[in-house]
Amino acid sequence: MTTPNSSNKSTTTASHTGADTGTAKELNRAALVQLLLLILGSLAVIIVVMYALNWAAQATGSKSAATDAINYEARSISILIEQEPPQLDAMKSTDQVSGSVLGHIMEGLIAYDVNNELVPGVAERWDIRADGATFWLRADARWSDGKPVTAQDFVFAWKTALEPATASQYAFILFPVKNAEAINTGKLTGDTLGASATSDRVLEVEFEKPIAFFEKLVAFSTYYPAREDFYKSTNGRYGADADTMLYNGAFTVESWVHNSSMRMEKNQQYWNKDSIFLNTIHVPFITADKQAGVNLFKDGRIALAQLDGETLPTALQERWNIGRLADGSVYYLEFNHREGRIGGNLNFRRALQLTLDSSELVYRVIKIPGYVPGTTLFPTWLKGKDAPFRQEYPPTPIRPDREKARELLATAMAELGLEETPSLVVLAGDTPLARKHAEYMQSELKKHLDLDVKIDRQIFKQRLAKMRAGQFDMVMAGWGPDFDDPLTFGDLFASWNLQNRGRYNNPELDAQIRIAQGSIDQQVRMDAFGEIQRILIDQAVLLPDYERGRVFVADPRMQNLGRRAIGPDPDYSRVTLLPPTAEEAGR
Amino acid sequence: MSESIQQSDLVLSPTSFKPLVKEDSEQGISRPSLSYWQDAWRRLKENTRAIVSLYIILGLLAFTVLGPQIWGASGATSDVDQISKAPFANRAATIVEPFEPWDQSKVTASNNGLQLDGDPTTQAVRLVWEPMAASTNGYRIYRNIYPTGPERALGLPLGEVFPSQGTYFEDRLDLSPTYYYYTVVALGDKSRETQEFQSHEFDVTRVITADEAVEKNLIESSSDVAVGDEVMLAWHPLGTDYLGRDMLARLMEGAQVSLFIGIVAPLIYVLIGILYGSTAGFIGGPLDQGMMRFADFVVALPFLLFMIVFKIAFGVESGESGVLPMLIAMVVLLWPATARLVRGQILQIREEGYIDASRLLGAKSSYLIGRHMIPNTMGVILVTLTFAVPSAIFTEAFLSFIGMGVAPPTPSWGSMCNEGLKTMNSTPHELIFPAVLISVTVLAFNMLGDGLRDALDARMRSRE
Repeated sequence: MTTPNSSNKSTTTASHTGADTGTAKELNRAALVQLLLLILGSLAVIIVVMYALNWAAQATGSKSAATDAINYEARSISILIEQEPPQLDAMKSTDQVSGSVLGHIMEGLIAYDVNNELVPGVAERWDIRADGATFWLRADARWSDGKPVTAQDFVFAWKTALEPATASQYAFILFPVKNAEAINTGKLTGDTLGASATSDRVLEVEFEKPIAFFEKLVAFSTYYPAREDFYKSTNGRYGADADTMLYNGAFTVESWVHNSSMRMEKNQQYWNKDSIFLNTIHVPFITADKQAGVNLFKDGRIALAQLDGETLPTALQERWNIGRLADGSVYYLEFNHREGRIGGNLNFRRALQLTLDSSELVYRVIKIPGYVPGTTLFPTWLKGKDAPFRQEYPPTPIRPDREKARELLATAMAELGLEETPSLVVLAGDTPLARKHAEYMQSELKKHLDLDVKIDRQIFKQRLAKMRAGQFDMVMAGWGPDFDDPLTFGDLFASWNLQNRGRYNNPELDAQIRIAQGSIDQQVRMDAFGEIQRILIDQAVLLPDYERGRVFVADPRMQNLGRRAIGPDPDYSRVTLLPPTAEEAGR
Repeated sequence: MSESIQQSDLVLSPTSFKPLVKEDSEQGISRPSLSYWQDAWRRLKENTRAIVSLYIILGLLAFTVLGPQIWGASGATSDVDQISKAPFANRAATIVEPFEPWDQSKVTASNNGLQLDGDPTTQAVRLVWEPMAASTNGYRIYRNIYPTGPERALGLPLGEVFPSQGTYFEDRLDLSPTYYYYTVVALGDKSRETQEFQSHEFDVTRVITADEAVEKNLIESSSDVAVGDEVMLAWHPLGTDYLGRDMLARLMEGAQVSLFIGIVAPLIYVLIGILYGSTAGFIGGPLDQGMMRFADFVVALPFLLFMIVFKIAFGVESGESGVLPMLIAMVVLLWPATARLVRGQILQIREEGYIDASRLLGAKSSYLIGRHMIPNTMGVILVTLTFAVPSAIFTEAFLSFIGMGVAPPTPSWGSMCNEGLKTMNSTPHELIFPAVLISVTVLAFNMLGDGLRDALDARMRSRE
């Protein structure tokens, strides 16, 4: 017999030829029962497997479970870092993660405290003059092997960082020291450096030219000391492993399993060890995944987690206390001013300046609190002479005016002799936020100016290479400050600055930058910065997008956490812990 | 007949030797004959799943080709007023005056805790509060969508106000029409938060200016509406994505890329496979051996690596579409499967009796291939093709997912999934729609392929 539905092959009717309809119904019922049993059986198996896996995960994960986010008795915390520290040799280090770790294990002549004020570090006092500076080192500053930190250690570190063979990207930060630039370019030998140890405890520095903010520079990681005998004994592996580093900071790296974990212990030789509360900082996780960080924070495994637009709703739902800080960086759209590129045309740049609305970008597209809509190259947190710089020199306000922008674009095209609206290549980063930002810009320029924009997404290194080679019409660039002075942004568009990727060249601007660099009179310098700001906006040299901010959640029992735009961030070295409340202890 | 010859006189005239008029055979056929294809079609029609799949595929084609014409919206136009909106979200908005920067000199100071200057709208919420005694270093402003409660979960830190900036704050960050709980905390020594705070809750209304409404084609001209009128924002039946782009339009545009790759690539590589396989199988011998070893070599090449190499070799800059290199990489690397299958069939058919007969009657090789071999392998080829299509669609989706496919703003289902994945928790519709479309398409093609295989398989016929 065949069932009426011949296409239904699943019923095995062929072998039951001749049976009447009654038995067919029974058979159908039997099949149904079989099916139900199958479903129940597989459900049972799935449940058993889930429990087994869960048990296995707990059994194998017991080791890491021992490191709670905060352990008051052991005086330890666990944290997450975004990536393996790429370079823990302070002389060569450039990135933020290494900078944060170095801030815990090294100390410069001058340091930042938790309130981001400069405080004595290895130097107990100092004297800065127009032509040079003298630092008196404290007697009890010691390396982690017990030997004293001497003035020679600083001279050695600075000379090494400046040697052309070291190829330190941050060597330029030492250039205020006499002959430093000539040594770095190989014109002079290291012995001619204007820094000398008059005794073990006195360091004399000569300046190349007067500098108004040397004490801020000295706190930077490139100015950290290194001891010659140890450095040479590592055979070029200085900073590559826990045992090829010598520490003079509050902590030492006790173990470092590359790409996996790290453990920092209190440095028993540190001169100020009594002010350090924590015994141990565990770094059991290395990941840049913000969602993973938030999950770990939720489970009480790490003491601080960075948030982004995606994880903010979770933080709100969990009723965490959310913190916020400006991380100091400014992001902007930079034009290529080279010959043959459309960015050299002022009217074109002005057209874009009047089209793109940074407040809409930040408030509607990026949507992360802590981000500030960009109005100028100089961020809000910069200090001026007496008040914040932006308060003393408010930037010219620019309001979007798309009518005018279209006129300006038409003028620009007439000037350039273009018939059709040009197609532009904008170089962008590969982060999700950069992508969103670039697509938003693409859509805005299409909508208002009918410009076709191609997005060239590149990883960081590749983007830098293309920026250097000038392979872009516009680039979404960012600049993080190196020291706490407007000059760290102010000289970016100087014609001689290699970071001026678009090769902008304006003698009027250069003159103001020379004043800002050369003078030690703060009023004169700030006026020059005000003038630089005016020129940059008037000439639409760059279009500020936003000042980057960070939002994070930190364990409320952790006090004195250091967060800063300049210097090591985050800084756990001065963290103290609140004792658990009675209720928590009983849990 | 012989009798009649005997009985009558046999008269032969020249006309007797004329050829007979040619007539068609009188043999009649009582039932219509079924060709192989008619039979296959008959059996396919009985297979409900296959037919439903066929309709789904036709529907998808209509969605891709006719859809954009009917729907008319562009998938590249962003609308910052409706970012990541779910389908059927409320779209009513009130017309307001154009946005003006806040003139704080005209604001009267608050004497009753946290207050508002003007109405709370999605344009801006302007807060004014009473000076607090504990504030030596300004204030910090928080906003929450949940009540703050006893544990003082204040929510998002919006910003700080320095002492010189007074007691005002303007919030414009991603305001949506909902209840917000604002809190202003006084900052004491060293900018630490003190225990002194003021808080209030406000119901924010969605607003739009008349000029914006005109720009978005919601109304004809700005004189049509007055401040306070209500307009409906653009309708997005499937919601919008992270830049406020219409999901339906993007899905249609994405389907063009996905189905283009999914159909064109298999057509080309199956054709190449047929030619290659039949040549190898028909000629046989050392040539066959050589050709099939080359096919083995191609199978061993890693697809993803090749894809990247192709992108570079073609000089495809990032920012340009990678669809063409993707197509070429698929064609270059995926033909051997078909070639092997066809070769196997040809080898089998070559030994059949009717081929020998045909050959004895003087058929040339081209005739043998064209008349006997290709038609007899057609069933296998069709089935391969229908299974190749979903796998190609899936490959495209996968490559676009990892960012090797289309360039923005062109969408493809795969790249849409990639974007949607990042916001899976907060706005699931951005992931669900493209994912469902990929699944349905792949499933439909697979089931149709399944049905075709059953219908075209000659051995299945004898079982009925």
